[in-house]
Amino acid sequence: MKFRDYYETLGVARGATEAEIKAAYRKLARKYHPDVNKEAGAEEQFKAVGEAYSVLKDTEKRAAYDRMGANWKNGQDFTPPPNWNEGFEYSDNNFGGGQSGFGAGYEGDQSDFFESLFGRGRHTAGDRSSNPRQGMNFKGQDHHAKILIDLADAYNGAKRTISLHMPSQDANGHVSTQERKLDVSIPKGIKAGQNLRLAGQGGPGMGTGGAGDLYLEIDFHPNPIYRVDGKDVYLDLPLAPWEAALGTTVNIPTPAGSTLELKIPAGTATGRKMRLKGKGIPSKEAGDLYVVPNIVLPSAETDAQKEAYQTLEKAFDFNPRTHLKG
Amino acid sequence: MTQTQITWIEGSVVEEEVHMSIVEISQATRAPEDLIMSWVSEGVLSPAGSSPEDWRFSGESLKRAKTAAHLTHDLELNTPGVALALDLLEEISRLRNQLLRQNLG
Repeated sequence: MKFRDYYETLGVARGATEAEIKAAYRKLARKYHPDVNKEAGAEEQFKAVGEAYSVLKDTEKRAAYDRMGANWKNGQDFTPPPNWNEGFEYSDNNFGGGQSGFGAGYEGDQSDFFESLFGRGRHTAGDRSSNPRQGMNFKGQDHHAKILIDLADAYNGAKRTISLHMPSQDANGHVSTQERKLDVSIPKGIKAGQNLRLAGQGGPGMGTGGAGDLYLEIDFHPNPIYRVDGKDVYLDLPLAPWEAALGTTVNIPTPAGSTLELKIPAGTATGRKMRLKGKGIPSKEAGDLYVVPNIVLPSAETDAQKEAYQTLEKAFDFNPRTHLKG
Repeated sequence: MTQTQITWIEGSVVEEEVHMSIVEISQATRAPEDLIMSWVSEGVLSPAGSSPEDWRFSGESLKRAKTAAHLTHDLELNTPGVALALDLLEEISRLRNQLLRQNLG
């Protein structure tokens, strides 16, 4: 297990005041919030910051943490000393800062380090299921997860077995993460950012309340060829200068897996996109596939190639910089 | 040879096929109904229908409501703050898509 330096995570001195810790946390939480920051690793940073704050904002936890001494470094191998937390008492394990009680949580958050020190708790406090009330009927919790699919799956529809890591709770209130496999039918026409609702696949209900629902937020695996914007798809098409100037016919792959023959008109310019209506992601009104020409210049290596460029120069009275002359 | 029968779970695409009540939005975001009402009065969500009991939220509202719940919970934003943040996030997303279309993203 690796030691986590919570002061370093928040960028504060060990002697920082509560106000300084709160300000540092707020600033970092805004910076790395996964709804705000879409860069890779932001969510992990956000969780790490939340975990650090949950310890340092709590006087008892902070005092216990401080007792381990100031010599530990971030990432150093660590085993908690025996009875390290003797005499400390923690009433709750909620972290994430702020008014607790709701917010579709980020599941499976705490580091091993945190759990070994403070035990395992749920980020999302106030779960109905974690405070069972006798004789009450509640619908189970809705769960949320993100899944990545291929763009081709949106074109053709697909059947996929996905594994989710879901927190589950036993009768004594212990939470553990369990892997759950689900065989899901991916409907044709689904787009990135949309949610697939699987009725009754969420948390179990209490009493006569039914199970909650599972929401799967869809995103596409990064694709080296296509770019996707809603239901429209973009394909960059490299062309040789003579192909663009004289026109040609090229075969292009479609995301659905087929090949299309595309006529390139003479005089095609870089960036002047061609729209293939209805060849985007299918839906009631199907999206379009845009082919974006990109003229690529071959480099002149051999004498014959250099001569070919010189012939071009002679054939054209061409100055691409006329607009630069005052 | 044994064959195992797999039952594929069919879901519904929330953004296209689903309209949600305030109870369903509350259940999905774990946000209390009075908070959802404050988002509606601030213009964060615009359901069809005249009173909370017959409000119908479009599937697109779910994404906004989820983000609103996260921002309220994680950053302790108040309702006008959530409304402003959502508008700015949408503007950023629109600009990002524009960059992507121009192959600069």
